[in-house]
Amino acid sequence: MQEQVITIIRIDLLLEILAGIIAMVISHYANTAFRLTGQKKLSDLSTGFMVLSASMFSRVIGTLYFFVLYPGMGEMTPEATSLMEVVIVAYGVLKIMAYAVFVYATHPGRRPQRPQMEVMMLMALPFLISPSLEMIAIIILLIIVIQTLVNYASVRNRYAFFVLLGFVLLLLGHISGIYVQEVTSSYFVYLLSQVFQFLGLIAFLVMLRQAGKDE
Amino acid sequence: MSRKRTYRSKVRILADMMRSIQGEGEIGAGPTKILYAANLSHDRLTQYIDELLRKELVTELQDGDNRTYLLTDKGREFLREYVKIERFSLAFGIDV
Repeated sequence: MQEQVITIIRIDLLLEILAGIIAMVISHYANTAFRLTGQKKLSDLSTGFMVLSASMFSRVIGTLYFFVLYPGMGEMTPEATSLMEVVIVAYGVLKIMAYAVFVYATHPGRRPQRPQMEVMMLMALPFLISPSLEMIAIIILLIIVIQTLVNYASVRNRYAFFVLLGFVLLLLGHISGIYVQEVTSSYFVYLLSQVFQFLGLIAFLVMLRQAGKDE
Repeated sequence: MSRKRTYRSKVRILADMMRSIQGEGEIGAGPTKILYAANLSHDRLTQYIDELLRKELVTELQDGDNRTYLLTDKGREFLREYVKIERFSLAFGIDV
């Protein structure tokens, strides 16, 4: 049983590392696009993917520390348990921050008011201290999925489709995540949530590759 | 559903001008062709053509009173990169 858990953690970490690298690559490309065009929303998009990447790497470091290194040093102290909880909350908050930036960046219209996002973040604050961060992530991702769906309906090209698919898969990842927390403790469903997230980032990578091709 | 464009950034206007020049192939495009294709006023056209020449993205050929513009290698490379970035941005619903 323990071997099975360790294998799942290893696969989970590998998927998280790869997803983090992909998020960094997209962040870099969005930043390059911002420097060429001066479009502020591309800079926001870059920031969003950078924060998403940071959240993924913080989870990898946290998991490595608590589940791989710590067992070798004996029982976890109450301080270590508190620290682990802080890392889990920080990971969730970083993801929510990234998604909030995506809501702003993918918002249709040329000049959405910046205070709108600040108001939205302020509204989210009471939830940010709640343990059910997954639910907040799901709500914000739903907004993003609707915005990207509207965009896909408008432009109807394969690039917009991959972006929509990416966010839908991220949403499914969080829905599976909350299912693990609230309904079942199945390792399979937990791993499935990580696979959805990974596939979501793969969809963005495919879009980036296709958009970068000469026609 | 058609995409409504109410505003064009400067880089987009430059790209539209370069696209119209590229569309004419080896013969190049005259000012009137660029003006209509990029939907510009005469003053703005002069201003942006100066900028394209200054940045060495296009080159000017003078034949008597006729002026034609051709893309330079740097211009072609810029346009290629711009098209990729435009696809990427529009995929996320961001107008450039």
